[in-house]
Amino acid sequence: MNANAAVLPTKEGFEPAVIQWLKEALNRNVFEAVLIPVETPAEDSFAYLLIKDPKFLDLASPLPPIMPVQGGKAIGRLTMRGDLNKRVAAIIRPCEARAAIELTKLKQAHLTNLTLITLDCPGVLPLSDYLDDPAAGAARFREAVEQDNRSPMRPTCQICHRFSLAEAPATDLHIGTLGNDDGAAVIVPGSLEGERILAQMGLTEDGDESGNLPEMLERWSTRAEQLTATQTERRSEAHAQLQEQVAGADRLLDIFGSCINCHNCQRVCPVCYCRQCYFESTALKLPPENYLARAASKGALRFAPDTLLFHLGRASHMALSCVSCGACEDACPMDIPVGQVFSLLADGAQEALGYVAGRSVEDALPLVAYEMDELHDVEQAYVEIYREQEVQDA
Amino acid sequence: MSEEKTFVPSIVYFMCSWCGSGGAETAAAHHLHYPENVLPSRVNCTGALPAVHILRPLIEGADGVVISGCHPGDCHYDDGNFRARRRIALVKSLLDTLGLEPERVWFRYVAHGEGRRFVDTAAAFNEHIKTLGPNPLKTRSDT
Repeated sequence: MNANAAVLPTKEGFEPAVIQWLKEALNRNVFEAVLIPVETPAEDSFAYLLIKDPKFLDLASPLPPIMPVQGGKAIGRLTMRGDLNKRVAAIIRPCEARAAIELTKLKQAHLTNLTLITLDCPGVLPLSDYLDDPAAGAARFREAVEQDNRSPMRPTCQICHRFSLAEAPATDLHIGTLGNDDGAAVIVPGSLEGERILAQMGLTEDGDESGNLPEMLERWSTRAEQLTATQTERRSEAHAQLQEQVAGADRLLDIFGSCINCHNCQRVCPVCYCRQCYFESTALKLPPENYLARAASKGALRFAPDTLLFHLGRASHMALSCVSCGACEDACPMDIPVGQVFSLLADGAQEALGYVAGRSVEDALPLVAYEMDELHDVEQAYVEIYREQEVQDA
Repeated sequence: MSEEKTFVPSIVYFMCSWCGSGGAETAAAHHLHYPENVLPSRVNCTGALPAVHILRPLIEGADGVVISGCHPGDCHYDDGNFRARRRIALVKSLLDTLGLEPERVWFRYVAHGEGRRFVDTAAAFNEHIKTLGPNPLKTRSDT
């Protein structure tokens, strides 16, 4: 799979190298524009910038410490209305690429002429932690990345097991930094387009002067596989623990009890695909007698109503496409572990239907496709308890 | 009488407008009876039943939801029941993960002529829910 990989020249560190590479690509018209996170002028956040003029790339940050906007959402916004007519590169994290792939299948993004470039992701800090002191947050992030320590990261990042694309590169290019010291990086194509771009940029196996490529690739994929295994274990442990905390009506309502119905989790979710949200539509805005009747049957009714329906219903819409990015949890003003609960629900639902969100544009969406012979445990077998009577009826 | 015996579950029965409700018509023609606490509700096709409409009664006071559609291969729209099966698998998986008793949802094929099967399904599900007991979400005011 890594046959046409190359070494990314990283003399001045990894991030400047990526930026230098992108600048060269812009100058050579390999890309018409680049979509990349850039620190805001106030230096307290990051935002995606669609960069046309290479000088803006000086401010770019390929691996920012936070994820205020999910890259999949940015790509969806850029390409929702149709294909790009010029080639654009998007520098994103693996979960953002997976969200973009899901959005493409949901016909809310178009990947034609869009080169997805992903990086090995160390996770990101929770937004609230970072915003308390951006400078200290950035320093904390760099330190954690150097020490390979995920504990200061978001809870969903701590248990992320799809942070690299060593197994199956689903994107056009993947920049692998794991396993090689001093910011050395390999750049691995995952598509013909990726290979073409590497060739165009003069980055090919033959062009590798150092001759280190095979060892670097080996070190990268070994480290990535090793980390994936430990993270997968960590994820299943964390999910087992979380399930104990949420299972059952009482515990579930305790967790979602502090929800203020702001619907931020829905707004920031990259794969919440409904053009009109059912939970914000008039379908759930009912005449007062409906609420009085429900209050009568339950004894009382919480306002605003339908909190649990919102969360469960939203899960029923997007759990199969959920990429466990944790954007929802970052956006929750009440610190509800909504990202963790949804990653738990998503893993269960995707396993039940044999689907992995964002793995490939080729995999059909599970609610669009079906097999005739499947899921028989869902069907309730008929036990003919009144067989004799049936004969009499006839 | 013990509490279990006096418990009358409230049950929503979603049936598709071809086979499911056809089964109900056949049952009516044969003067077959099903428990009165089962509330029938017709949908165009089980494949057109959104997951939210299964979740909503379970949150708002139903003790169980039963869905019946055409047998595999008999769907009026070719593949609605196969799609429904996937969607119900999804709902059951969500309920299972959250410990909300996925067994409160049943999915069974009932053909137009199977009036007996329709009333059996309603009666058997009613008994099944009686043994399960009331839905804990039913009395929660903070949903």
